[in-house]
Amino acid sequence: MKVDTGFLESLRLGGEFDARLCMNCGTCTALCPLGLEILPRRLFRHALLGDRERVLGESEAIFSCLLCRLCEANCPAGVHIAENVRSLRVVLNGEARGLAEA
Amino acid sequence: MTGRKIGVVVCQCGGNISDYVDTEKVRAEAAKEGDVVSTQVQMFACSDAAQQAVIQEIREKKLDGIVVCSCSPKLHTATFRAMAERAGLNPYEYTQVNLREQCSWAHTHDRAAATEKGIRLVRAGIAKTALSRPLEKMRVETLPQALVIGAGIAGLRSALALSDLGISVHLIERADRPGGQVRRWGTLFPNDKAGKDLIEDLVRRVHERDNIQLYLGTELVERSGRVGAFSVKVRAPTGDLISLDVGAIVVATGFEPYTPAAGEFGYGLDGVLTLPELKELLAATPGPLVYRGRPVRSIAYVYCVGSRQPAEGGTQRTYCSRYCCSATSHLATVVTGLDPAVHQFHLFRDVRTYGKYEALYERALKGGSVFLRYSEEDLPTVVREDGGLVVRIHDRLLAGEEVEIRPDLVVLVTGMIPRANDDLVRNLKLPIGPDGFFREVHVKLRPVETVVDGVYIVGTAQGPKNVAESVATALASVSKAGALLLKGYVDLDPLVARVDPTLCEWCGECQTACPYGAIDEVEYGDRHIAQVNAVLCKGEGACVPACPKAAISVQGYTNEQITSMIDALAKEVA
Repeated sequence: MKVDTGFLESLRLGGEFDARLCMNCGTCTALCPLGLEILPRRLFRHALLGDRERVLGESEAIFSCLLCRLCEANCPAGVHIAENVRSLRVVLNGEARGLAEA
Repeated sequence: MTGRKIGVVVCQCGGNISDYVDTEKVRAEAAKEGDVVSTQVQMFACSDAAQQAVIQEIREKKLDGIVVCSCSPKLHTATFRAMAERAGLNPYEYTQVNLREQCSWAHTHDRAAATEKGIRLVRAGIAKTALSRPLEKMRVETLPQALVIGAGIAGLRSALALSDLGISVHLIERADRPGGQVRRWGTLFPNDKAGKDLIEDLVRRVHERDNIQLYLGTELVERSGRVGAFSVKVRAPTGDLISLDVGAIVVATGFEPYTPAAGEFGYGLDGVLTLPELKELLAATPGPLVYRGRPVRSIAYVYCVGSRQPAEGGTQRTYCSRYCCSATSHLATVVTGLDPAVHQFHLFRDVRTYGKYEALYERALKGGSVFLRYSEEDLPTVVREDGGLVVRIHDRLLAGEEVEIRPDLVVLVTGMIPRANDDLVRNLKLPIGPDGFFREVHVKLRPVETVVDGVYIVGTAQGPKNVAESVATALASVSKAGALLLKGYVDLDPLVARVDPTLCEWCGECQTACPYGAIDEVEYGDRHIAQVNAVLCKGEGACVPACPKAAISVQGYTNEQITSMIDALAKEVA
């Protein structure tokens, strides 16, 4: 994968995405009632590293999330996981619109 | 039988010895030896209660020699010498027999043979004690003056604290200005104070003191004398030699930043810097970071460059340089403070922002730094492609997936290496560890002392440290030097070599063998003989086998004692 700082900027502009404190422990993934393997550990890692394609490619998982916050309640680093998923949805919507306009 | 009254204490070490050696049998066999009038077994000979019992036995039976069969002499010689002294016995009439490291721990598989060996070891200890003589410590005067070598942050701080105690200080610095590495650095963790300001404040205070003399561009060229009264010669920039008499020497010669080899993680490429180079760049740049006229939008840091390397040949850099993780995390927060939009990627092996410095790591994370983990076997690469820097890493936090970063700047987080100080090492006769740094006597309990009494090692001359740790050791050396010099005298161990003038014919072999320069040629009647300078002698005995006339021996370890020990060890065998 290639780090895309431009994508990092657009995540920042999206406002809410903040997984800086994620230490990649995987508690979230283990607890996910939907068993979404990608969520949220690897997804956030890809987002933090600016991997545009991988994040956009996970739209299925991003929109499947129940926002139940089971992961968030148990996150040892205090990451606001549900907010992050929401903000990724915003980014994905934006990208989709961008494509439509183009 | 020599008519001595020797007591023997056999220690079980709470099973460490008695699980593998029949301590009761060892005691019973010891009791059969000619000069032994008292024997006992103790569960822990070093415990207060056991020591008290032994003291009582020494007094009641009027013992004139005591043998404790326990652990390595390295551990408890001082303990039991002090015990002997409290019992009114000369401390050099005490012998320690190593029944643990050299017997029970070494032969856990064979109790009978271990017991047999233990009996022989104890017999040897008894034989040595039968020939022991009371020895007196040597009291020598100390001068209330100190030499501090190196005017970096540790040397400056040592000098000021020695001065506070009323000890005059000669502070010599090889460079033409004081301050060492710290002066060149900008903001330092953890309190954002600039290195230059710290140094300037210390230098100003040094100049205000009447009892500190600062010599710049000056090097040590010779050291002789002994603890409490060293004679040193230093070479001034004019080439003149200056003689100084000092009671103690503080070595604060610092470190050198590791310089990567050309091509190591792309070092030498445009845009690849080391940590100190980035620190200097930041200190010189008032606003957001600019490198060679180009604004810096993204940085990749590669950690552990030159530190924690696999051990191979020569000098080993297997150590962690301690300060770099904290320094880099802190630097990342400084960069973020100048421009929050800068993307920062940290390529690390393990983050070691230990203790209170963990807060710096958290601040870096919150500032948006992303940490990617590489393994020792699979290092990141740095190359220039299509006019830009490209860093590739297999990120262990992504199960080893390759991540490609195109940063404006690559910073190699270089560690500390020992200074090339061969002349100084030779002149001071100080031991160097396998890592190339000066070595302390005891890693925990005597962290600033060296095998040369009165010579202390502080700061990064001893090993990697941050500023706070360097200053802590600097002040530790001041407490040691102060205790030595302000008392006015020092008592030295009498276990030193001695020449029998009737046998010596002066051939000089002992002088050549002595690593401490402790043997002089003197006139004795109409001939020349060797004489030991007892305060320089360490009693390590290199001179003894060198003497063709057996005229020299070490007190407490005389030829007769060693021979009798060998006889006792081989009693039934021979």
